[in-house]
Amino acid sequence: MSWAVCSYIVPPKAKSNPGPEGPARPEKLAELSQLALDTLAGLEPELRAAAVISHTGEVLATTTEGEAWGRAAVELLEALEKAGPGDLDSSHITTGDAEVFMVREAGLALVAVTARFVLASLTSFDVRMSLRDIAAEIAAGGDPNA
Amino acid sequence: MLKPHRVLADKISSYADEASAFMRRRRHHRRPYIRIQYRDGNAIELHPEEPGSEQIMAAVTGLLELSP
Repeated sequence: MSWAVCSYIVPPKAKSNPGPEGPARPEKLAELSQLALDTLAGLEPELRAAAVISHTGEVLATTTEGEAWGRAAVELLEALEKAGPGDLDSSHITTGDAEVFMVREAGLALVAVTARFVLASLTSFDVRMSLRDIAAEIAAGGDPNA
Repeated sequence: MLKPHRVLADKISSYADEASAFMRRRRHHRRPYIRIQYRDGNAIELHPEEPGSEQIMAAVTGLLELSP
C-alpha cells in the first residue's frame, strides 16, 4: 500500500544574518535582490510591483522601471515604522482594489503590491522566502549567476 | 407533515439567509484594513480612517498610483 505524501520544505533560515554591513558587495546584493524579485514575480501571477529595500532605506531592486516606485515603497516603510513602537516584522494592507505586503527579514525589507483577493498567507510566505533566499545566497557567498 | 405553503416559506427564508450571509462575508472581505506585526509577536490592526493611519494610507495611495 502506498501513501500519498504531501510536503512543503521550508529552507532553513540563513545562520548568519548578512545584514547591511555584511560581506556582500552592494552590486551583488542588488543583483540577488533582482533575481529574487524575478522569482517572486514567477510565483505570484497577481503581483503588480515589488521592491527590495536595504536597512538604510536604499532601494536595491524593483520590478518597475524608474525610481519613483521604489521611493514610494521606502515612504510606506517609514510610515509603518512610525505606526508603533516595536521592531517591525511584517504588514498587510488592503484597499479597495489592491493589497500591499511588507516583510522584513535578514536586514532587508520587501514591499509588494498585488491585485485584490490574493491568498494573503501564501503571498506573505513567498515574500519572506524571497528575502531568505537572498540572505542564504549572501551567507553562502554564492554567485547569483551560478 | 408541513403544509405546502410553509415548505415554500421555509425555502424562501433559507435562501434569503444564505444571500444575507454571502453579502456579510463579502462586506467583511472588502473591508480595508492595516495589519502590522512586530518581532515580539505583537500585532496591531488599524482602520484606514483611524487617526494614526493617515500617513500609512497616504503612502499606500502614492504607491498604488505609481503601480502598473
